[in-house]
Amino acid sequence: MGIDGIRRVDDVRLEIPQDFKEGMRTKGIIYVDEVLEKELEDHSIEQVANVATLPGILGHSLAMPDIHTGYGFAIGGVAAFDIKQGIISPGGVGYDIN
Amino acid sequence: MVPRIKDLVEVLYREIPTGVGSKGRLRLTTQELKKVLLRGAQWVVEQGFGDREDLEHTESGGYIEGADPDVISRKAYERGSPQLGTLGSGNHFTEIQFVDEIYDEKVANSLGLFKDQITVMIHTGSRGLGHQVCTDFLEVMQRAAQRYGIKLPDRELACAPFNSQEARDYFSAMNASANYAWANRQYIMHWVRETFMRVFNTGPKGIGMSLVYDVAHNIAKIEEHTVNGRRVKVIVHRKGATRAFAPGHPELPPVYRETGQPVIIPGDMGRASFVLIGTERGMTEAFGSTCHGAGRLLSRHQAIKKAKGRSIRREMEDMGIIVRAAGRGTLAEEMPEAYKDISNVVEVVHRAGLSKKVARLRPLGVIKG
Repeated sequence: MGIDGIRRVDDVRLEIPQDFKEGMRTKGIIYVDEVLEKELEDHSIEQVANVATLPGILGHSLAMPDIHTGYGFAIGGVAAFDIKQGIISPGGVGYDIN
Repeated sequence: MVPRIKDLVEVLYREIPTGVGSKGRLRLTTQELKKVLLRGAQWVVEQGFGDREDLEHTESGGYIEGADPDVISRKAYERGSPQLGTLGSGNHFTEIQFVDEIYDEKVANSLGLFKDQITVMIHTGSRGLGHQVCTDFLEVMQRAAQRYGIKLPDRELACAPFNSQEARDYFSAMNASANYAWANRQYIMHWVRETFMRVFNTGPKGIGMSLVYDVAHNIAKIEEHTVNGRRVKVIVHRKGATRAFAPGHPELPPVYRETGQPVIIPGDMGRASFVLIGTERGMTEAFGSTCHGAGRLLSRHQAIKKAKGRSIRREMEDMGIIVRAAGRGTLAEEMPEAYKDISNVVEVVHRAGLSKKVARLRPLGVIKG
């Protein structure tokens, strides 16, 4: 057990359970092994959980192994929202568009 | 080739405007810039900078529909207009590299990659224009989130329902910025080819520099995916993540329909970069996405502190890598130790099955902003 409330699924996946934070609509998955897990910032984990609270999120709130803290959404983040019930957010794309 | 790297780096540095707020050599009218925002790299190729094959090997064919130049602020135009065809600063770069390891011979072959081959990688985006669009719309979205009663755990997550006017305006402006980014790289790639032809005194055939692939890694796109067994239209946000579509995906050009989508993963300037390929598992598990690079480990400030009293340029040269940078602090900010080890990052997405390793590229010459 590494970080409080986070569960290791297998050698390359960490899970942020849905009860990690109030309002989460789905769980979070961060793709890291044990080496990269040591470099995880608490704030970036929080950001992956925050994204899971947004309306219309489908699947999970995901983060790639190059994850680090960004504006609102972690850099390395992937999140898909229903086009009818979901949202779009500039923070989910960032300043350096494309 | 290797003895010529120094010359190439110098000439490329001169030919491609580089650095914070750098201004390009293009002088586009507002009407022409609007065409860039609407049709991206496609318009640039029509103007004679590159060819049709470049567009086939570019995500979304070099532009996306649904851009609206009229929702871009005057300030974004003012920043973006002189910067088209420039590299910019920060982590943006042009690199001369060589293929030092092939992991999948068959796929590498389909992509035109082979061992010891020289490659060039370009990393830049929508410059000040996209930055201003983000700034402008964060304000709009703060108000929108309140107006639509969206509860946010952090105000930086400002957003609007996708079917609202605010969302439509942002989406149109973001699409326009994405098209600007594709256009920007198309110009730069064209100038890189011209430079190689001049330095080696040969023509396009002699230099044989065809584009493997051009991908976005900060974008939101409408795509169709299967979620809980149901096909649904979603707006996928990839922020520092790359699209990695599996073999057979209808959005891939015929040349890559069988192999899957190539993915370009730039690493730090001292270690390596990678070429990957999309997989079915990536589709079902991560909306056809994978990583985008090494990922920062130290903040820019921490990196500068750590580099104090050292010559990063010299350290790189001792490793056999020629570096040229426009900004004084850039090399310190961008030193290899400031990043996670790209090999670890790529190993994780490979083992997770989100994408597969095809080739590793080592840097020889680096031009930084």
